[in-house]
Amino acid sequence: MDEKKFHQLQERYNYMRDILAGKNNENLRLLASRMEELAGRMPGLAPAELKEALKTLEDLFNFVEKKIEAELTPMDKVRIVRSPQRVCLRDILENVYDNYTEIGSQGEHSLDPAILIARAYITRRRGKRTINQSVMVIGHEKGHGEEIRNGGSATPWGNAKALHYMKVAETENIPIHTYVFTPGAFPVEDTPGAAQQIAKNLYDMGNIRVPVLSVFSEGGSGGAEAIGLADRRLMFSHGYYSVISPEGGAAIEGNVKKGPRATPELIETCAEQLRLTAEDNLRLGYIDGIIQEPDLGARCHHYDFFRLLRQEVLRATDEIVLGVRGIVPFRNMALRSRRKKTEEGLNMDTVHVRWNLSPSAQERLVERRHRKFRRYSLSAFKDKRNSGNRFRERICDVLSELFYCIRYDLLRSHQQKISNFFGEIHSETSFFFKNQTAPVRRLIGRLFSGTKARKNDAAEKQLTTLSDWSSDQDQRGHWAYVSPKAKEDKAVICPNAATHGCLDMWAPDLYGEFAGVCTHCGHHFPMEYQWYLYNVFDRGSVREFNSDIECGNPNNYAGFDVKIEKAKAATGLKSSCITFDATLNGINLVVAMLVAPFRGGSFGAAEGEKFILASERASRKRQPFLAYVHGTAGIRIQEGVNGVIQMPRCTMAVRRYIDAGGLYLVVYDTNSYAGPVASFLGCSPYQFGIRSSNVGFAGPGVIQETTGVAPAPHYHSVYKAIARGHIQGIWDRREARFNLHQSMMTMGGRNLYYK
Amino acid sequence: MDISDNKVLIANRGEIAIRIIQACRKLGVDFVCVYTAEDAHSGHVRLARELGGPSGLYRISSYHDANELMAVADAAEATAVHPGYGFFAEDYRFARRVMQRDRGIVFIGPSWRVIRELGDKINTKRLARSLGVPTVPGSDRPIYDELEAEELARSLFNFQVQQGIKNPLVLIKASAGGGGMGIEEVQDLDLFRSVYRRVRNYAARQFKDEGVLIEQRIRDFNHLEVQILGDRNARNIVHFGTRNCSIQSTGLQKRVEIAPGFDPSSLSYNFNAQKLMDDITNHSLAMARKVGYDSVGTWEWIVTRNGNPYLMEVNTRIQVENGVSAAIARVKGQSGVDLIAEQIRTGLGDPLGYTQKDISFEGVGIEYRIIAEDPANRFTPWVGRIEKFDWSGLGNEPWLQMYTHVPTDTPYDIPTEFDPNLALGIVWGKDLDEVKARGLQFLDKLRLEGVAGNGAPMKSNLEFLRNKTPDILKF
Amino acid sequence: MLDISSLLEEIKASPYVESRITAPHCGVVRFNETLTPGCKLVGPNGIWKEKPGTLLASIERERCPRNINALEKGELVEVKSDLAGQFVEAGTEIMRVRHFLSRDEVLQILLKQALHLFNAPEKAKYYFVPSVDIKIKNTGPKSVSVHDGMELFIISRMKRETPLRYSGPDGVIYAVYFSMNQNIDAGQPLIGVCPPTQVSQIEDVSMRVQTEWPED
Repeated sequence: MDEKKFHQLQERYNYMRDILAGKNNENLRLLASRMEELAGRMPGLAPAELKEALKTLEDLFNFVEKKIEAELTPMDKVRIVRSPQRVCLRDILENVYDNYTEIGSQGEHSLDPAILIARAYITRRRGKRTINQSVMVIGHEKGHGEEIRNGGSATPWGNAKALHYMKVAETENIPIHTYVFTPGAFPVEDTPGAAQQIAKNLYDMGNIRVPVLSVFSEGGSGGAEAIGLADRRLMFSHGYYSVISPEGGAAIEGNVKKGPRATPELIETCAEQLRLTAEDNLRLGYIDGIIQEPDLGARCHHYDFFRLLRQEVLRATDEIVLGVRGIVPFRNMALRSRRKKTEEGLNMDTVHVRWNLSPSAQERLVERRHRKFRRYSLSAFKDKRNSGNRFRERICDVLSELFYCIRYDLLRSHQQKISNFFGEIHSETSFFFKNQTAPVRRLIGRLFSGTKARKNDAAEKQLTTLSDWSSDQDQRGHWAYVSPKAKEDKAVICPNAATHGCLDMWAPDLYGEFAGVCTHCGHHFPMEYQWYLYNVFDRGSVREFNSDIECGNPNNYAGFDVKIEKAKAATGLKSSCITFDATLNGINLVVAMLVAPFRGGSFGAAEGEKFILASERASRKRQPFLAYVHGTAGIRIQEGVNGVIQMPRCTMAVRRYIDAGGLYLVVYDTNSYAGPVASFLGCSPYQFGIRSSNVGFAGPGVIQETTGVAPAPHYHSVYKAIARGHIQGIWDRREARFNLHQSMMTMGGRNLYYK
Repeated sequence: MDISDNKVLIANRGEIAIRIIQACRKLGVDFVCVYTAEDAHSGHVRLARELGGPSGLYRISSYHDANELMAVADAAEATAVHPGYGFFAEDYRFARRVMQRDRGIVFIGPSWRVIRELGDKINTKRLARSLGVPTVPGSDRPIYDELEAEELARSLFNFQVQQGIKNPLVLIKASAGGGGMGIEEVQDLDLFRSVYRRVRNYAARQFKDEGVLIEQRIRDFNHLEVQILGDRNARNIVHFGTRNCSIQSTGLQKRVEIAPGFDPSSLSYNFNAQKLMDDITNHSLAMARKVGYDSVGTWEWIVTRNGNPYLMEVNTRIQVENGVSAAIARVKGQSGVDLIAEQIRTGLGDPLGYTQKDISFEGVGIEYRIIAEDPANRFTPWVGRIEKFDWSGLGNEPWLQMYTHVPTDTPYDIPTEFDPNLALGIVWGKDLDEVKARGLQFLDKLRLEGVAGNGAPMKSNLEFLRNKTPDILKF
Repeated sequence: MLDISSLLEEIKASPYVESRITAPHCGVVRFNETLTPGCKLVGPNGIWKEKPGTLLASIERERCPRNINALEKGELVEVKSDLAGQFVEAGTEIMRVRHFLSRDEVLQILLKQALHLFNAPEKAKYYFVPSVDIKIKNTGPKSVSVHDGMELFIISRMKRETPLRYSGPDGVIYAVYFSMNQNIDAGQPLIGVCPPTQVSQIEDVSMRVQTEWPED
């Protein structure tokens, strides 16, 4: 018995040592020496003395744990979260829910052991009545370090399964509880690709018509978003929610590609600056509440913690439901009284709120969810539009909304009816008259056959003399913008020369007339975003808007202000997203362009806001909305969750636009990876890749590191992307204009002004 | 102006390379030649070794690689490049690069803008029409609309019927195409749409442009050419008469060229042949003046049986058959005109030095293209080793000029990379009868023997040339 | 029947192949100065052979240097160092390297004896017909079975292309002896075909090479 007790203390010691990762800690040394001393004299101690000694030691342990708890750094918390001893989803199912059945897994036999789905219920008692309330529980299973669980990294098909059962929950009208325990998604590009599936999850989850509650323990970037889009988001006090692992951040920060790894100190600093703790996220507003864990984090034996979690989960689910059910004044009253009672210590097990929703409540639920995400990160960028202007803009928006509504919705439908009516009359009467007058006309024709000869002269003239034609329409080889690379007198080797026998091209030809395309094999060399800006849209039609929304440093990431200023100076841009109005063959459209030269095309809060404003503008004007991605490396890590949150935010905005009947086109060029592709870009039904570009989730280095296998060459090429169903077509750069016009004419919803 | 400080890179091979070397020698201009591994035994290589000095010959990886040519130009310190015909002769991008690179040199040929303008068939046709020059009936701009295309085809059919043409035909051409690609014939208006769509789709795939041209297909015509020469800045533009190139292989490759284009003095035609030759010459000159034509070039015409001329295209290069025009031309009464030398001389900036008034013509010339091929079998190229190639039986007749890169003293393996052209034989006579007789005499005395890899004897087109000789210039 | 043992002995007697490294085009040569004769060279490596072999030299033409990398594991025999920094013509020999025959090469030598060889009827460039070409590029030559009279090649010469039919026993293509844009003399083998009856013999050859040929 005492032996066991001692052993338990040893375990607690080891755990502490692990989460502090060998950091020099006096308290730990003290514990170690005390343990050693006790172990030395244990054989000689009488049982009572031993008990006493152990008690003393345990008290010391409790004391030290409290002390360490108070000093935990963000990186320590990351290590707590990663510890195999941390609670996992199975423990929660066992201890928080009253009954559950796992869906689609039998031990190691599972589509994806990193994703666990269970139908569960919670039993509540109201007086003598017991009520079982069903929920769909979906989450990552880390399985205390079991290898098959892959550390909770969900595969694309695992995420697909998660989405499938969210839809089942929707059908069954029961709430969804998701538990986020993932370091990130598994970065494979099978069928579907990681980004492709996460984008689909986000797109569909935005409009799931049942309450969704998510609880974060380990929120690793895109993998977390795949199931984390919820009406209420709670977080464990020792959890983390971050754009990237601190190690990954440090590797990028320290520019460590090959050679020595980032130092522990740099990683600590990174963890600190990523603002990934529960307190940080609550302060920034990305979670709605913190569930307090015991000192040094929750482990399987912390039954008090499970009880607390149960109360919190019940309360949050009730509140989501109460927030959308019934008529407004009563709804607010109910919520207020509940909050008061909760403060007085209401036991959630003894109240009952039905969790199913009426259709109108479902609609309110979705609307509220959209509003919730729309409000996120509004203070995470610099808005230099002055308030007078902003007010004027707001008024303009409202007025133009009204104008477009009248012009395109009301008038058009009437106009159509009128013209249809006249059209019918005309065709019927002309048919009638034709029959009656045909013999007469033939006669007239014979009488005036001289006119035929004149007509022949005209025909001959048409066939043999100069016609009217302006060769302006003839774009071949004549580009309005010519790359500066075309000014160098040098030859350029095509990367396919060895396999395709391409001859070297002269840079002025290649980057000028050839538009950066190898004339032999069709390889596309990267071109500047300006090439598209000037050569795709009608000349002089580009009008930028919202250029005053600037990228900032919301997390006060050390040294980042300087980098941002440098990027702004080097590119003349204020963020990596340029939004503008343009026309193409006379059709108006709204464009959001992500440009690679501005910090790798990384996406943060400013870019997100501009993107959403552009989609709303397109929606208001009934115009097509084009996201032209000149290149993006992913979410801007220095903005932390302010950046990650753009994934659900922008996806939901795009969803609103598409649901309103627009046409959302995405065109990828050069390299597009990670967050943006895994959300608001990857969710478009019409995505196209410029030839020789790459589209995917994680770059080759990350794949090698996570999966242990180096990806094959061209793993992310657009040809692979089209084969796995991610994109819908591959375009030659020189045909981008033509193809865009073609797309605008043939694709899109009911609400486009020109249709 | 002294041009002798120049060094000309000869960016070609075979017969034309030899003639450019000879022209350079004549002008006292230095030259440098290039060759590829397959071509090591070609006559131009031998000549360059003999005459070119220490930096007169470089081996390159391919005649098609402009970078090789530029590298050699710099290494050999060339100041100009002569493209010959084929390869880069009509590539305006090459001409532009030669001129615009940091170490710019002279492109011996028209300026790149002229090559580009006249290399585009729509541009050329519109330029012609703007000057009232007759062109093939049909569209002169790309047609993108199916209904418009069909309407045009319908009026073309009607137009031909009115002209009394029995089986009217319409051609659909990809407007961005070239080299005979993306051209189809329509015999029946009902079939038009399906053919149109096929060509349009092909054009969109191949040339990234859906536009098509719709033209009358003319059959039963003679192929005439007008030889033009302009000096730099196109201050002075002259013509060197006409040629008739109607004797062709089944693949429409020229085999016999005769200057002048018709001979109304001994043959009768359905139309006024002299007026026709004057007309096309004047039309060609008018266009050359309009674009500022500044080198040698050829305006190609088709002439129908009832004497209607239509401009086909402009070749902005020296042509294979330039020698036959030179053979009948006299400048200030002197024979021995060399159009290649004139091209080099004026290309390097020398003024022309004479006007149209100083140019006269005398007699008739025939150029025979002697080729290893089998005329009986669709002119299939023949590959093998030439063991005997000899025309010494003719003595040293002044009326014959032979241009060849095939050695006469050693056997020669025909390279498989290039057309199996062996030699050009140019025969001159004071009139049609004399030139025909001399032509036959030349062909009879020419010895050409060889053997293929499988031991079969050589095939050549000598018999074909002999059979065609009696009927030259008859329409 | 093939006498594999004696053939193998024969190859073992001179197990190196020496090859000339020539300038692929005109330009100024710069040698990799860390290399001296006798240096070990590595060929393309990595799972996908995505990393190029040892850098031997570079040739700069029109301000564009082209690297010449080792294609085989082996050693450097000679560097024409007098050419360093000089302009060379295309095809100039700049280095010589040699390598120990790999298992695969030995196997190819033996297979040439064992397979049915289909030879080029005349000097020309050869291509596979497009359908076969795609199959070979995607899944390797062994996925293509041929039969007598099958249209298999395109002969290209004098800018004309004519189809060529395969003649010989039915079987699977085991080896391809020509590459794109390469001139093949009449009588040179184009492909080696293994008839079904010989598969066991071929596999035996392959086995013997696997076990008897050392590869470091």
